[in-house]
Amino acid sequence: MAPVTPLLETRGISKRFGGLEAVGGVDFRLDRGEVRALIGPNGAGKTTLVGLISGRLRPTAGEVFFAGRNITRLPAWERAVLGIVYTFQVTSVYRRLSVHDNVVLAAQRPRLRAAVDWIALDAEAVAADARTALARVGLADLRDQRAGALAYGHQRVLEVAMALALGPELLILDEPTQGLAGDEIESLCRLIRDIAGTTTVLLIEHNMAVVLELAGRVTVMDRGRIIAEGTPREIEAHPEVQRAYLGR
Amino acid sequence: MRGGDRGRVLGLHLAVVGLLAGLQLLLPPFHHGMLARIMILAAYAVGYNVLLGYTGLMSLGHAMFFAAGMYGTGLTIHHLGFGIGAGFLAGAVAGLAAAGLVGLMTLRTTGPAFLIVTMMLAQAFYLATLYWNDFTGGDQGFILAGLQGELAGVRFALADPAVKYNVALGVFAACLLASLWITRSPLGRVLVAVRENEERTRLLGYNTHRYRLIAVLLSGLVAGVAGAAYTLLFSYVGSTFAGILYSIYPLLWTLLGGAGTVLGPLVGTLVMTYVVDITSGFTTGYLLVVGVALVVMILWAPAGIVGGIRARWAPWLP
Amino acid sequence: MSLGAHLFLALLEGTVGALVLALTALGLSFVFGVMRIVNVAHGEFFMLGAVLTWYVSTTTGSVLLALLAAPAVVGAVAVLADRLVLRRIGYEPESTIVATIGLLYILQQLVLTTYGPYARPVTPPVYFRVDFPWFGYSGYKLVVAAVAAVLLAGTWIGLSRTRLGLYMRATQQDREIAQAFAVPVNRVYTLAFGVGAGLAALAGALIVPIQQAHYLMGLDALLLSFVVVILGGLGSLRGTLVAALLVGLSDGVISVFFSPTLAKIVATLLVALVLAVRGRGLFGEAAA
Repeated sequence: MAPVTPLLETRGISKRFGGLEAVGGVDFRLDRGEVRALIGPNGAGKTTLVGLISGRLRPTAGEVFFAGRNITRLPAWERAVLGIVYTFQVTSVYRRLSVHDNVVLAAQRPRLRAAVDWIALDAEAVAADARTALARVGLADLRDQRAGALAYGHQRVLEVAMALALGPELLILDEPTQGLAGDEIESLCRLIRDIAGTTTVLLIEHNMAVVLELAGRVTVMDRGRIIAEGTPREIEAHPEVQRAYLGR
Repeated sequence: MRGGDRGRVLGLHLAVVGLLAGLQLLLPPFHHGMLARIMILAAYAVGYNVLLGYTGLMSLGHAMFFAAGMYGTGLTIHHLGFGIGAGFLAGAVAGLAAAGLVGLMTLRTTGPAFLIVTMMLAQAFYLATLYWNDFTGGDQGFILAGLQGELAGVRFALADPAVKYNVALGVFAACLLASLWITRSPLGRVLVAVRENEERTRLLGYNTHRYRLIAVLLSGLVAGVAGAAYTLLFSYVGSTFAGILYSIYPLLWTLLGGAGTVLGPLVGTLVMTYVVDITSGFTTGYLLVVGVALVVMILWAPAGIVGGIRARWAPWLP
Repeated sequence: MSLGAHLFLALLEGTVGALVLALTALGLSFVFGVMRIVNVAHGEFFMLGAVLTWYVSTTTGSVLLALLAAPAVVGAVAVLADRLVLRRIGYEPESTIVATIGLLYILQQLVLTTYGPYARPVTPPVYFRVDFPWFGYSGYKLVVAAVAAVLLAGTWIGLSRTRLGLYMRATQQDREIAQAFAVPVNRVYTLAFGVGAGLAALAGALIVPIQQAHYLMGLDALLLSFVVVILGGLGSLRGTLVAALLVGLSDGVISVFFSPTLAKIVATLLVALVLAVRGRGLFGEAAA
């Protein structure tokens, strides 16, 4: 049987900040259609790893492949065009623009392929895409609000709406439930499960209940390395994981 | 954007252009000439606003683009015998080329370095116009006498007040409506996004360096067009227009009118040109008013005139 | 005069110019380093130092007194500007730039209306000639170079050894954390702005007996200082010194052999080249 090309693969990827090795020689594989959780204590290198995947950071060593293509040298914006979409850990919406305009910025991007699109863009189609994305996350009623005036939970799902409007192949969610209330977490989980039907999801998450509910597989990082990988049940039972993370 | 707003916005801007067209029938000669000049300078400020207001890049070297347009037109007419049409085109191209050079050179700079480098390059350009004064006329500049154009078989003198006014109006209206169109286009949206949060914009798949460069080019092109038109209408080319004051002016006009508003540059240029004109009547240190205006504005009215109106009464203003 | 002698003269002129430029640019770089603001009025502080030196030396007859008074008065003007304007806009980078452009015109035009559009000389406080085999050279210029070098060394030591210097470096690293460690950030800012202006004024005061005082002289000083801090890397004092020497020497040599105007054009293009290759200058921090 021919080996299936993973959607995403890193080979020996490393990142040093001065004397500190935040990520050290990580080999990471993600198959198409997965919902993968990335867990680990603070400072384990999770955000650095997804930074290397999304192109926000340049690796000190190692390579990144996306759908079989070496993207190590591609800048972040080109990776976003390929479909690697990152939502920020700290909400990073355009605070002074309206909710609708935030999503339109994302929604117009996939439609701007050729130079002529800049002049003759189908504004109605873009607006429709934006509306669809907003409706999907439940923000349709707030479209004319200033994004900075939204409640924190709404800003987080606005981030998700922007990501969806880009039409991602791989959606990276960096601690999406952080700072949300119980019912907000529940509806966000429902949304992620809905997204997972069509998109591969990589999820950094501290909330184990969320991880157990959503993730098909879990990868555990500690001190810049992957220390375990498996189903949520296996991970829960893994002694090293309990020592490094769950029993903190 | 709601359909009703779109009609209202377009209507307002067309009304402003119409008002300017109508004013020429009412104004006494002095103000008639003054307004023609203001419209050209306001077109220059419109170009500046694309960069400062909509992309968030503060340039202190725009005089280089304006003067490039001016010399591009003036020198080709003076030395090479170009006609006014070809001369105007040469000016626009020169503005664009200067902007391309500056844009590429500042691509890697961030924050305050952009402003310092634009100022440095513009100052080098200014010194070059002085140094090669055999060619440029240096400080004294030179006069292009008796420029004539022809439209549909009718010859006309560009120095004729009515011609001057209407050409100025045409240039200004074109720049204003182009800027209005850009702000509502997908490109304008991306430029605003770069201003608001460059990294976020990059992760939405936009090559933000490219858009910064595009903004510098557009802004330089408009400045070049304004410089070219100024040369043709006022028949004069001189290094004064390459000096730092002519880089500060568009900044002042744009801020006073309201950075990031489409009509702000016109309002700011109109007010400030009159204020400077009046003060220069009774003191040699009339540029003091420029300094005081900048400080007062930054302390008490950072949004500018149109920006203030938008915040208080008309949130639909673009 | 032979080519060798010419070159020697050019290097001598260049060295004097470089040391004075280093003093001016150090003020600018220092203010940026501590406060993260670009002071566009920096050249006007230089000009004000020169003009005040003319005033004080012609009214009191003492150039030495003028050399002390000018930086002090200019420092006070800067402190006032900091209190009245910069602090009130919270040192927001773009607003600060606009405000200092305003300050540039306010100072320049006030000098124009009171002092007039003249270029006025000041007699050097010490007058002697140093005779080289090929030409005689103004002793005062050598004194200026020596004084500038001493002042540069003094500033350097002041920044690395004193409590004030420590506060300033702490504030430069991180404003919030410095505040948490009870560093009086506001006072440090005011003082830094004053000291930066004072350094420019001192350079202006030293140069008047060589160059004459004129209300527009600040612009060239600003341009060259900008060239230096960009070439050296914004906020790096070491880079500022190295770049000032490079720019000052090339300025001196080209000025002697060709023209001062060409020298400034060349210096600027030189920096443009460096920037195109290395966006943050020679010694700049990775993220400016």
